[in-house]
Amino acid sequence: MKNMQVNANKNSNLSLAGALVLAGGAALALSQYFIWIHAPVEVTMGLVQKIFYLHLPAAWWGMICFFIVFCASIGFLLRRSPAMDQLAASAAEIGLLYSTMALATGSLWARVSWNTWWTWDPRLSTALIMWFIYAGYLVLRQSIDNRRKMRMVAAVLGIMAFLNVPLVFLSARMWRSIHPAVFASEGGGLEPEMLTTVIVCVVSLGLLTAGLLMFRFRQKNIQERVLDLYRH
Amino acid sequence: MSLEMTYLIASNVVIWLGIGGYVFYLAAVQKKLERKLEQLEELSHEQ
Amino acid sequence: MKCRPLALAAKDLRLVFADGAGIIQPVLLGLILVFVFSLSTPVGEEVPAQAAAAIFWLATSFAVILVFNTLYSLEGANQARIGLLLSPMPVQYIWMGKALSGLVLLLTAQIFFLPAIIVFLGQDLMVSWPGALGTILLIDWGLVAVGSLLGAMSQGHSARDSLLSVVVFPLLVPLLLAGISMGSFFLGEGTGGEPGSWLGLVLAFNALFTGAALVLFPFIYGEY
Repeated sequence: MKNMQVNANKNSNLSLAGALVLAGGAALALSQYFIWIHAPVEVTMGLVQKIFYLHLPAAWWGMICFFIVFCASIGFLLRRSPAMDQLAASAAEIGLLYSTMALATGSLWARVSWNTWWTWDPRLSTALIMWFIYAGYLVLRQSIDNRRKMRMVAAVLGIMAFLNVPLVFLSARMWRSIHPAVFASEGGGLEPEMLTTVIVCVVSLGLLTAGLLMFRFRQKNIQERVLDLYRH
Repeated sequence: MSLEMTYLIASNVVIWLGIGGYVFYLAAVQKKLERKLEQLEELSHEQ
Repeated sequence: MKCRPLALAAKDLRLVFADGAGIIQPVLLGLILVFVFSLSTPVGEEVPAQAAAAIFWLATSFAVILVFNTLYSLEGANQARIGLLLSPMPVQYIWMGKALSGLVLLLTAQIFFLPAIIVFLGQDLMVSWPGALGTILLIDWGLVAVGSLLGAMSQGHSARDSLLSVVVFPLLVPLLLAGISMGSFFLGEGTGGEPGSWLGLVLAFNALFTGAALVLFPFIYGEY
C-alpha cells in the first residue's frame, strides 16, 4: 500500500516535469512574439541585439545548473545518497547544453557586431572554460566503471569546478587588462519593452529548465534501478 | 534578407535545435528504458 | 615521531628514482614539446617571451599528469594501497606526501625545461632569477595540490592519463594564465601587467585548492 503511494507520488512528479516542459516550450514559443515584435530594435546595435534575449537566459540558467551540480555534489558527499549524484549528473548535462547554446549565440552575435567569431572577453572565456570543465566531468562519469568510486570522484570534481569559477573569471579579466580592450562592453539602460522581453525569456527558459531537470533526474533514477535489476 | 537577420535567425535556430535535440534524446532514452522494462516483465512471467 | 608525509615522500622518491622511468618520461615529453614548438616560427626569428612562457607551462602541465599517474600507481602492486590506508595516520598525510614527492619530481623536470626554453626558443634575458624561481615554486605548489588530489582518482586504473588531463587542465587555467603572464614578465617582456596582482591570484588559488584538497581527499582515496 505504502509502496503504491510512493509510486503514485513519483508518477505525479513525472507528470509535473512533463507539464513544466510543455509550459516552458509554449512560453518559449510565446517569447518569440516578444523578441520579434514587442521589443524595439536597438538604436546602436541594430537588429542583431535581439540575440541577447535568448543568449542571456541560456547563460544564466546554465550557470544556475552548474551551481546545482555544486550543491548536489556537497549533498552527495554528506549523505551518500545516489539521488544526489543523479541530480548532479542531470544538472551538469543541462548546464552543458545551455552553455553550448550561450557560446554559439554569443559567437554569432560577436561575428556581426564585432566582426570576429571570438574575442578574449572575461565572461566569454569563463563560459568556455566552464564548458570544458563540465564536459570533462561528464566524460569522467562515463569512463569509470566502478559506480561507487565514480560517484565520489564526480562529486569532488563537481565541487572543485564551481569553486574555480571566481578564479577563472578574475584571471580572464586580468589577462585582458594586459592587452588593450578593443571592445566596449554592452549594457546601458534597457527600455521597458526590452526589459519585459528579457523577463519573459528568462522565465520561460527557467520553466523549461526546471521541467527538463526534473524529468532527466527521474529518468536517470529509473535507468539505474532497471540496470540494477538486470545485474541481480 | 540582411546579414543581421540571417544571424538572428541562426541563433534562434541554435536554441531550438539544442533544446529540441535534447528532448529527442530524452525520449529515445525513455523508449529504450521501456523496452528493457518489458523484457524484465517477460522474464518474471516465465519464472 | 617522524614526520610521516616526509617519510612517504621519501619512499616514493626512492622508488621513482630507482626505476628512472617515472621521471625520464615527463622530462622527455616536455623536451619534445619545447622542440616541436620551436618549429612554430621561421628560422632566424625570435619566439616572443609570452609564447616561451606558455610552452614552458604547457610542458609542466603534461609533466604534472604523468608524475601523479606514476606516483599513485606505485601502490598498485600487491594492493599496497590497503596497507597505506590502514597505517595509523590521517588520510590527508598521503595527499601531502604525494604532493611533496610530486613537487620534487616536477622541479626536477623543470630543471631540464628551463635550459631547453633558453636554448631552443632563444630566450636569453632573465630579469630576476630569484623572482622567477620563487614564481615557479609558488605556481608548482598549486599544480601539485590539484594534481595530488585528482591524481588519486587514477588509482587502480592504467592508461587513464588522457582522462586525467581532460579533467585537470581546464581546472588549472587560472594558474597557467598567471604563470604565462609572470613568466613573460621575467623573460623580459614586462608589458604593463603587474606581477603583484597575479601573485595574489596564485596565492588565492593555492589556498583555496589546498584547503579543498584537505577536505575532499578522503573521499577520493579509499577502498572501493
